[in-house]
Amino acid sequence: MDRKRIANLLSSTTGLALTVGISFLIVVLLILVLSDEPGRAIYYFFIGPFTKAYYFGNLLNQAIALMFTGLGIAVAFKSSTFNLGGEGQAYSGAIVATVILLALPNMNGFIGGAAAIIAAVGMGAFLAGLSGFFRMRWGTDQLISSFLVSAAVILIINYLVTGPLDDPVNSMLTTARIGRQYQFLRIFKPSKLDISIFFAVAAAIGTYFFMQRTHWGYEMRMCGINREFSRYAGINVGKYLLVPMAISGGFHGLAGAVTIMGTHYRCLKGVTMGIGWNGIAVALIAKNNPIAVVPAALFFAYLEAGAKAAMLHSDVTFELAKIAQAVIFFLVTAQALYGLFRSRKKVGS
Amino acid sequence: MAYLQMQGITKLYPTSGVLANDGVDLAVDENEIHAVIGENGAGKSTLMKLLYGLEHPDGGEITFRGETVVIKDPFAANRLGIGMVHQHFKLVSDFTVAENVVLGSEPRKRGLFIDRQTAVKDVGVVIEEHGFSVDPKRRIKDLTVGQMQQVEIVKMLYRNAELLILDEPTSVLTEQEIERLFVTLRNLLERGKTIILITHKLEEVMQMSHRVTVMRGGKVVAVRNTSDVDKRELSRLMVGKDILLEVNREQKTFGDPILELRDITIRCRGQGRPLLDTINLQVRSGELVGIAGVGGNGLAEIEDVIGGLRHASSGQIFLHGEDVTALGPEDLREVGLAYVPADRLHRGASLPSSVRENCIVTKHHDFLKAGVLQRRNTREFTEELIDHFSIDAAEGMPVGNLSGGNIQKMILARELAADTDFILFSEPTWGLDIASSQFVYERMLELRARGAGVLLISSNLDEILGLADTILVMYRGRVVGRLENTEAVTKEIIGEYMLGLRDDSEPVGAAAPSEVHRG
Amino acid sequence: MSNTSFPIPMLHSTIRIMAPFLLAAIGGLFTELAGMLNIALEGLMLIGAFFSVVFAAATGSLFLGILLGIGASVAAAYVFGFISLNLRANIFITGLATNLFAEGLVMVLAFQIFGNKGVIRFQNLPKLPVLSVPAIQRIPVLGDVFVGHNVLVYVSWVMVVIAAIIIYKTAFGLRVRGTGSNPDAIEATGLSPRRYRMYAILISGFTCGLAGAILSLQMGAFVPGITAGRGWIALVAIYLGNKTPHGILIACIVFGFAESFSNYAQGAINVPADFILAFPYIITVVAMIAYSIVRHYRLKGSER
Repeated sequence: MDRKRIANLLSSTTGLALTVGISFLIVVLLILVLSDEPGRAIYYFFIGPFTKAYYFGNLLNQAIALMFTGLGIAVAFKSSTFNLGGEGQAYSGAIVATVILLALPNMNGFIGGAAAIIAAVGMGAFLAGLSGFFRMRWGTDQLISSFLVSAAVILIINYLVTGPLDDPVNSMLTTARIGRQYQFLRIFKPSKLDISIFFAVAAAIGTYFFMQRTHWGYEMRMCGINREFSRYAGINVGKYLLVPMAISGGFHGLAGAVTIMGTHYRCLKGVTMGIGWNGIAVALIAKNNPIAVVPAALFFAYLEAGAKAAMLHSDVTFELAKIAQAVIFFLVTAQALYGLFRSRKKVGS
Repeated sequence: MAYLQMQGITKLYPTSGVLANDGVDLAVDENEIHAVIGENGAGKSTLMKLLYGLEHPDGGEITFRGETVVIKDPFAANRLGIGMVHQHFKLVSDFTVAENVVLGSEPRKRGLFIDRQTAVKDVGVVIEEHGFSVDPKRRIKDLTVGQMQQVEIVKMLYRNAELLILDEPTSVLTEQEIERLFVTLRNLLERGKTIILITHKLEEVMQMSHRVTVMRGGKVVAVRNTSDVDKRELSRLMVGKDILLEVNREQKTFGDPILELRDITIRCRGQGRPLLDTINLQVRSGELVGIAGVGGNGLAEIEDVIGGLRHASSGQIFLHGEDVTALGPEDLREVGLAYVPADRLHRGASLPSSVRENCIVTKHHDFLKAGVLQRRNTREFTEELIDHFSIDAAEGMPVGNLSGGNIQKMILARELAADTDFILFSEPTWGLDIASSQFVYERMLELRARGAGVLLISSNLDEILGLADTILVMYRGRVVGRLENTEAVTKEIIGEYMLGLRDDSEPVGAAAPSEVHRG
Repeated sequence: MSNTSFPIPMLHSTIRIMAPFLLAAIGGLFTELAGMLNIALEGLMLIGAFFSVVFAAATGSLFLGILLGIGASVAAAYVFGFISLNLRANIFITGLATNLFAEGLVMVLAFQIFGNKGVIRFQNLPKLPVLSVPAIQRIPVLGDVFVGHNVLVYVSWVMVVIAAIIIYKTAFGLRVRGTGSNPDAIEATGLSPRRYRMYAILISGFTCGLAGAILSLQMGAFVPGITAGRGWIALVAIYLGNKTPHGILIACIVFGFAESFSNYAQGAINVPADFILAFPYIITVVAMIAYSIVRHYRLKGSER
């Protein structure tokens, strides 16, 4: 019906397909160059995650944290606020949840767990909210301030994990293990998949509803699209430099808590490493649509699961996933790629 | 054949659908000052962008010094000897004057290094030869606006420009700086340069130009020798004669004041004169006040100040008797402000969003149930507006897909739905076709009949004369004329106020009315 | 080691430690002046570190190793620049991508070539020559601090001088600065801002490659995560140094000293190394906020 919309959709799909295609192509080329058994490596990279329930379950599990961080970034970007501190916010969520749960070894699982999650969300929201506040109040660059705060926080948490909170019994750089009552139910053994995947999907739907249907979501989106218009129409634009950041940070904190309570049960040094950065890629692939964050996160997790399978069954290494992800990162915002379809049409007419 | 000949130039902006130039012919002789005049949106700036290679024409031909040329970018224009002084300067503020002038064609030492001495010397020579008064070693950020403009001119002269385009060169200058500029232009003329002067100020045209091309609505409507015309005729040519409106001048009585501005002043750093200078105005119930003026004389600032988007440096604003001077748009709308902005594509609407999201923006709080927007209600509300204002759109369509007229109707529908006693219209028919304009006028008159106070800010004299009960005319940030709209008031009279030829306000300090300069 | 000689080796190692910061920051200065936030410094450095040590070991020549290491880093910078400028991708996202890509590529290659993702030691790797000038060495404190470093440390200081000359004395530098301050002004003179941005990115690739080479060649090994956030700290040094070469020099001395201090202080004073590493980030964010507060009130003042 609406031709312009269809053309837009088509061109963005073409761009995305091209982006993913190029990243796969580079992975295949690298395998061909580096591997002695390229056929096997390629097979396991692309098909591997589906050959065993264990791999597939871990793929889904890997996607959980990415869904939360992806949602956090999507909310921030949709409102034209910039959160580059996801790594630190997620890590802080992980450590705060761990500390609370370790402090309450005998509490009821539900109450203690809820307290830990709330505190983790609050911590993430606070850290990101700081950058929102600075921008609202004095126009400080959000991008850099959020990164710097996060970088400092990561180092401080590293100190806590390796210093005062280190578990002397365990040889790894990690805290002690949280109580059994706080560990999320595993639902697809022997894989690590736990029930929090349902929370993540529910969060995606909830976020979609929040952004599309509630008046806060509406005001945030309007501010994101056109701040001048929003200001003219009487929306408190200052507030929406802060609120989306806090929500974004909250999601990252949640991702950290879920990583501890669902997967690792202890806060290892660098336990959440990468989920902040990858959350940005996930949100960009999803074009900041909360529902689309779910498949985008699954796709990113698939790349990692594929690389893991290829590593176990052939002679290539896990870091191939990083290269594939990086290529997607490179191209996902390339306007020229996405405009390809459109600009050609213009020349033709 | 003329020195510069532009023939049948056509330019369509596809995104907005505006036909900015429609078969325009322009002929400029060697060593003349040729004025191109017209109201905002007449197409004169577009024409010059085409000549300078900043835009490319869809049709037509340019001949310069006897040769047909295609100007693909400003660099190509420079090589041909065409230079342009932009209205908004393109200077690097941390750099010195000399650095800015030589940028891109720097004199070198041993191939790599800038020869600063030569640069300063060469630029100094250009400055001296043409009687400018800037120090090549000073930084741009320490200069006055007038000096920055000189640097722009020097930049072009350094590049051996023979034909200079000056786009609205006086719009940012003080009276003294304007005088200086005129001296400069005469100097350049003596040195054999040719000058195209883009302006909407008749004063300058009469004082400076040899010939004048008048544009209106993207077309050339007249070419005259300046000595053969007077300002009144030019003014008539510029604004046109087609009056859309039945002028309605029955004596009316007005109610209590709804909006009042007291001594509103906006000062800005680096600006010689205040943007708004002690503005006093009152809009009463049932009254339609029109503020006329040419762009750049304070109309936009009045809009911003009343809309709460900019705060005054001093003075007070009252709405419904309440002091709203410090309030932002959010609170103003609460007190009772509806406002149709001049910039309807950025401020008045959010183009990527749907019609519905645009329509509910000012009153989405009314559609909430437990924090959730009730979709059925918002859709019904939007469809009602679409229906009532016969907007040619569906509620889910992105506003960017609508025509200009329909976007304006939508904004109007939204603002009127607020049902306030005061409403501000800024340039409400700018760029609209006749039918849409008529629609806007009818709504305004209905509002007045209902007893609302209406403030119309417009550079279109026809609508000011046809609609307003009281007319205020702005010139250089001041209200220079305050007239009751009677038989005696004509377009010519308002035009003279607008162009600074008449001034009823008490002269402030040394800033005497500019007509004394006219010989 | 007696207690009295304690500060001298600390200052000596400050000079050694700051060299990679300095080089990365000087390259980043060019992109910063050209108006781009270059967060790819970290990744470019990593690529330089890996390839220079690998090629040096393979060819047996330090010079070739460094050259090829820089070549790899410049090539990566070109890809980064091409996608950002020609394909018009968001430079901040592509910067992240460069870092992730570098990390992935280095690990994959390390594993495939050496079968090892940990520390890779190289047997007959030529050592970086140490410069010793007896005349200066005899000067008490100065000699002890500044003499006896490897050549690349001195190269980094020379690079600061060269960068300052390029930035302030050449037409190229003028245009790069103009591109950052007002690209419209550059475009209005018929130059292409995009071109100068690309040059700036390539320069940052060059210096980051060299910075990486120092890290790995000094150590005689490649260690994953060898750059350890130095690219980010270099970015911070650019801001703290107020975007001038001499300012960056001072900022890098501070960072170098902080790291050197933490190395020496461990055990002596009880400040955890992570805290000291966090310090530059905290300082910078505070400085940034202070700067924006001042700007905020100055702008506001002019309106009233």
